[in-house]
Amino acid sequence: MSTRTPAPTGTTGRLRADLAATDVVVRHFGRTLVDVPRLHLQPHRPLTVVGESGSGKSLLAHALMGTLAPELEVTGAMRVGEASFDLADRRGRRRLWGRELALLPQEPVLALDPTMRVRQQVAEGAAGWPADRRGALRGADERLDGLGLAHAAGAYPHRLSGGMAQRVAYAAATIGGAHVLVVDEPSKALDRPAVDRLADLLLAHAAAGGLLLTITHDLRLARALGGDAWVMRDAAVVEAGPVEEVLERPSTDYARALTGADPARWSRRWPTVHPAGTGPSGPGVEPGVEPGVEPVVEGRDLRKAYGDQCLFAGLDVTIRAGERWALTGPSGAGKTTLGDVLLGLTPADGGRLRRADRAAGRLQKLYQDPALSFPRRVPVALSVDDTARRHGVDPARVAMLVEQVGLSPDLLGRRPDQVSGGELQRVAVVRAMLTRPVLLLADEATSRLDLLTQQVTVEALMGQVVEDGCGLIVVTHDEALAGALTEHRITLGDDPRR
Amino acid sequence: MSTALHELSATPAPTGAAVHRPRRRSRARRACAAALALLVGFALVGPLVLGDPAAQDLSRFLEPPSWGEPLGTDDYGRSVLTRLAHATRLSLVLAVLCVATALVLGATTGVLAAWRGGWVDAVLRGVSEIFVALPALLVVLLVAALASGGSLVAIYVGIALAQWVEYFRVVRARAGLVLGSPAVEAAGLLGLGRLHVVRRHLLPDLRPLLTTLASLGMVTSVLAMSTLGFVKVGLEPPRAELGLMITESFPFYDVAPWMVLGPVGVLFVLTVSLLGLRDGEDAA
Amino acid sequence: MAAALSVPDHRLGRVLVRRGLQAVGVALAVSAVCFWVVQRLPGDAAYRIAAGRYGYDLVDAEAAASVRAELGLDRPAWQQLGDWLLQLVQLDLGRSLVTSQPVAEELAYYLTGTLQLAAAALVVAVVVGAGLGVLAARRPGGVVDRFTTAYVASVRALPPFLLGLLLVLLLSAQLGLLPAVSSGGPRALVLPALTLGVGLSGLVATVTRSAVVEVAASEQVRFARTKGLAERRVQARHVARNAAVTIVPYLGVQAVVLVEGVVVVESLFSWQGLGHALVHAVFWRDVPMLQATALVLALLVVAVNTVVDLVGLWLDPRPRALEGVR
Repeated sequence: MSTRTPAPTGTTGRLRADLAATDVVVRHFGRTLVDVPRLHLQPHRPLTVVGESGSGKSLLAHALMGTLAPELEVTGAMRVGEASFDLADRRGRRRLWGRELALLPQEPVLALDPTMRVRQQVAEGAAGWPADRRGALRGADERLDGLGLAHAAGAYPHRLSGGMAQRVAYAAATIGGAHVLVVDEPSKALDRPAVDRLADLLLAHAAAGGLLLTITHDLRLARALGGDAWVMRDAAVVEAGPVEEVLERPSTDYARALTGADPARWSRRWPTVHPAGTGPSGPGVEPGVEPGVEPVVEGRDLRKAYGDQCLFAGLDVTIRAGERWALTGPSGAGKTTLGDVLLGLTPADGGRLRRADRAAGRLQKLYQDPALSFPRRVPVALSVDDTARRHGVDPARVAMLVEQVGLSPDLLGRRPDQVSGGELQRVAVVRAMLTRPVLLLADEATSRLDLLTQQVTVEALMGQVVEDGCGLIVVTHDEALAGALTEHRITLGDDPRR
Repeated sequence: MSTALHELSATPAPTGAAVHRPRRRSRARRACAAALALLVGFALVGPLVLGDPAAQDLSRFLEPPSWGEPLGTDDYGRSVLTRLAHATRLSLVLAVLCVATALVLGATTGVLAAWRGGWVDAVLRGVSEIFVALPALLVVLLVAALASGGSLVAIYVGIALAQWVEYFRVVRARAGLVLGSPAVEAAGLLGLGRLHVVRRHLLPDLRPLLTTLASLGMVTSVLAMSTLGFVKVGLEPPRAELGLMITESFPFYDVAPWMVLGPVGVLFVLTVSLLGLRDGEDAA
Repeated sequence: MAAALSVPDHRLGRVLVRRGLQAVGVALAVSAVCFWVVQRLPGDAAYRIAAGRYGYDLVDAEAAASVRAELGLDRPAWQQLGDWLLQLVQLDLGRSLVTSQPVAEELAYYLTGTLQLAAAALVVAVVVGAGLGVLAARRPGGVVDRFTTAYVASVRALPPFLLGLLLVLLLSAQLGLLPAVSSGGPRALVLPALTLGVGLSGLVATVTRSAVVEVAASEQVRFARTKGLAERRVQARHVARNAAVTIVPYLGVQAVVLVEGVVVVESLFSWQGLGHALVHAVFWRDVPMLQATALVLALLVVAVNTVVDLVGLWLDPRPRALEGVR
C-alpha cells in the first residue's frame, strides 16, 4: 500500500524560521543532567541526537519544548523565528504547542486517550477546533487517509498496533500546522517496517521545510534521516557533525564504541556448534551426543490462535542439540508465544510437539524484563543460591560463572529493583546456566537495553552458551541481532491489523 | 461492612512529598500502635480490677465523674468506667476472633483458588459472587436475630461469614498475579518446587497485604458490632457494648455528657488507631 | 482489513448474563438464609406472631395453634421453603403477618422511601466526595489534600448511626434547623440523606483523588496539552472522562455499603423505607415481610451494580479483562 504523506500544512508560504537555543542546562537537586551550549535547527536539515539512557538526550528535547517535569530546574534561552523565550519559563511556550512546536511521544499507545475515537483525537489538534468542528473533522479524515489509516478513523486506540498509533499521534500532533517537530524515542515500541514508515514521514516533514529534532538510540533510524547527528553522553555532546561522518568515521572513543555496538556491525559471530566428529571439539560439546539423531524439540503442524487472530498454523520446527535459532517477525506476530509453546510453557492449539527425554527440566528462559523474573522482595543472591542448591552445584562454580559474565559478587546482595537491567539479565544468565540447560530461550532478552549494555549482555550470554554447548532460541524483532547470533531462523507473519 | 479490596487500591500512593512522608508515616503508625496498646491494656486489666458491670445502685443515678468513679454513673447507677472496660474487651476479643477466622478462611481459599484454577476456582468464585452482593449487615442481622438471649456465637459466625469473601477475593487476585508472573514461571523452569514458590514468592508478597486486611477487618468488625448494638439485635441491654452504650446514653447527653463521651471516645480512638496501622508498603 | 477493527462487542451480553446469574443466586441465597433463620428462631414464632396480632394479654395456646396452622408452620421445613420459592416465582409475596396487608403493596411504599433516601445520599456522597477529591488532587500534599485525608479517616472510623446522632445533635437539637424524626416532607429527608451521604463520601473522595492525580500525570494528558489544547478542554474531556472510568466501578461497590447504611439510618430517623421495615419485621417475626424486604434489598444491590456496569461500558470502550474484580 503506498502512503501519500501530506505536506505539513501551514509551512508553505510561511517565513522559513529556524530554532536556536543557547546554554541549555537542566539540573536536578544539584546534579547536572543536560549541558548544551548551543543548538541550531535549520529547515531541510534534521538533527538527530543519539546516546544511551541517562545521557540527557530526552531531557534536552523536553527542555526545548517546555514539557519537563516540575522538579527539574532548567535555564537557557531559545529563539524560534523572531520570538525569544526563556527556558525557565515553562508557561510561556504553551501557546506555541500545536501551532509552532509539536512533540511526538515515546509510547504512542499510551499517549492516546482510550476513551476517544481516533478521528476526534486528531481533529482536536486542529486550529479550527472547537469552533469549526466539521471542518476539523474533515481535515482529520484527510490526514488519516494520507497516512493510510482511513479504515482506522472511527476506531478506538486500543485496536491500533504500535505503528498505527504512532502515525495517529503524528497526525494529531501536526494537524495544527507546527513546523518544529520534536520526536522523542519514536522507535522504542515499534518494529522495523513501522520504523521505516515513520522515517518516511519525518523526512517528508523536513523536505517540506519543517524543522526536525529526533531523539533516538536507533542508529539505523539516524542514518535514514540524514542531516546532522549528535552523540550525547552524561549531559554533554561528545560528538557532532553530519550523520555519515559521526556514524561511519567517529572521532571519539565513546562514539566509536557506540557505533560498534550496533548488532549490524558486530565483527565476531559466535562459533557454531558442529555435529560430533565434523568440527572442532571443545569443552562443553557433549561427547557421544549425535545431534542428528534425536532433536531436542520437534514440532509438526503447530497451530496457535489468540482470540480470533491466527498466529501461526501448519508450522514444522526441528531443533537439534546445540543449534541456534531465531524467531523473528513484527510485533504481535506471535514470536513469544511460539517460543513458549516450544518450551512447553503454553499448549499449542493443534499439531504435535515432542521433546527429548533428556530435555526434561533442562529448558530455561530469559525474560524481556529480568526484574520480573526474580522474586521481588528478596535479594538476588537467594534466588541464585536456591537454584544452585536444588541442582547440587558447587558454590565455586557459581562464583566462577558470576565472574565470567563480568559481575561483581556484592551485586548479588541487592534486591532486583536495585540492580540495573543489563546486570540483572546477566545474573539471570548465570542462574539459568547453573542447571546445565540443553536449550535456552531468550525472549527479547535485550530489547530494552541500550546498545552498549546490550553488547555486554549478549557477549556474556553467548560466551556461556558456546562454552556449555547448549541450544539457543532468540526471539527478537531486530534482524541484525538475529543474524549475528544464529544460523537458523523462523520468520512469523505480518500483523493482521496493519 | 466496607469493602477491603477497594479501600486497598484506593489509599493514595505518596506523591510529591514522598521524601518526608515515610518519616511522618512511621511516627503516625507508632502513635496508633501506642494508643491501641493502651486500649488493649484497659480492656484486659479493667474487667479484672474493676467491679461488676451490671451492679446497679439506683441511688447513684447519673452521678458526675469523681475520684471514685472517673466516668461517673449511668441512669441505672452502674459505673460507666467498668462498663466501658467490659465493652472494650468484648469488642476487641470478638473482633480478633472474627477477623482471624475470616482471614484464615479467606486467605487459604484465595490461594487455593489461584493455585488450582479450574473448577475449584470456578466454584469458589461463584460462591463469592453471591456473597459479595449480599449486604453483610443483612446477613448478620438475620443471623443475629437468632441470638436473642445473649449468645455471641451467632454474631461471631455472622460477622466472620460476612468478611471472608472480601479476603478471598483480594488474596485470590494478588496470588493470581504472583503465580502468573514470570518469576514463578522461571522458578518452575528452574525446578525449584512448590515450597520455594510459597516461601520466596507468595508469602513475602501477601504478608503486607494480610496485615492491611486484618486492620481493616478489625475496624469493620468493631463497627458492625456497634451497629448491631444500635439496632438492638443480637446485642441487647443489659450487655455492655460500645454501640449499645452510646445509644442508651444519647438521650442524656445534655445532663450527663460523660456517659456519651466515654464510649464514643473509645470507639473513635479504637477505629482510628486500627486504621493507622495499615501497612504503607502495600500501596503497590 | 477493516474487519479487524470492528469486531462485534460481546461486553454488553457478558454484563447482563453475569448480573442476571448473580441476581438469581442472590435471590436464592437470601431466601434460604431468611428461611433458615426463621426456622431456628427461639421461642415460639407462632406465639409471638399471635401476640403481635391480638396483644399479649389476649393470646393463649389455642390462638398460637391456629396461627401455626394458618401459616403452615407445622409442616416440614423443606416443604415450606418449596412453597415460598414457588410463590416467589409467581410473584406472590403473601401478606404481612402484622398488618395483614399484601406484602407487595407495603413493599412498593417502602421501596419508594428507600429509593428517595438512597438517591439523595448518593448525590451528597458524589458532590462532597468527588468535590473534595478533585480539589485535593490539584495539589497533592497541600492543605486541601491533608484536610481531605483527615476527613476521610474520621468518616471511616465513625459508625453511621453515630454520625447520624452527631448530626442530629448539631443540626437539630442545638441549632434547631432540621427535624430529627421523619414527618413527611422534603425537609425530613435532609438529615438522613446527609448522614448516609457523608458516610459514603469518604471512599469516593479517596478514589477520586487517586484517580485524578494519576490521570493528570499520565502520558495521555501530557500529549493532549502538547497538541495545543486549552487547559479547560484537557481537564473537562480528557482528565474527567478517564478519571471517571476508574471512579465509576467504585460507586458500584458503594451499593453494598449504601444498603447497609440505609438499614441503620432509616431506623435512626424512623424513615419509612425498606431498612426500617426490615428491622421491624425481624423484631415482630413478620416472616413474609422479612423475606420480602431482605430479598428486595439484596436485589437492589445487584441492580445498582448492573447500572454501574452499564455506565462503565459506555464510558470505557476498551475490552474488559475477563476476570474483573467485582
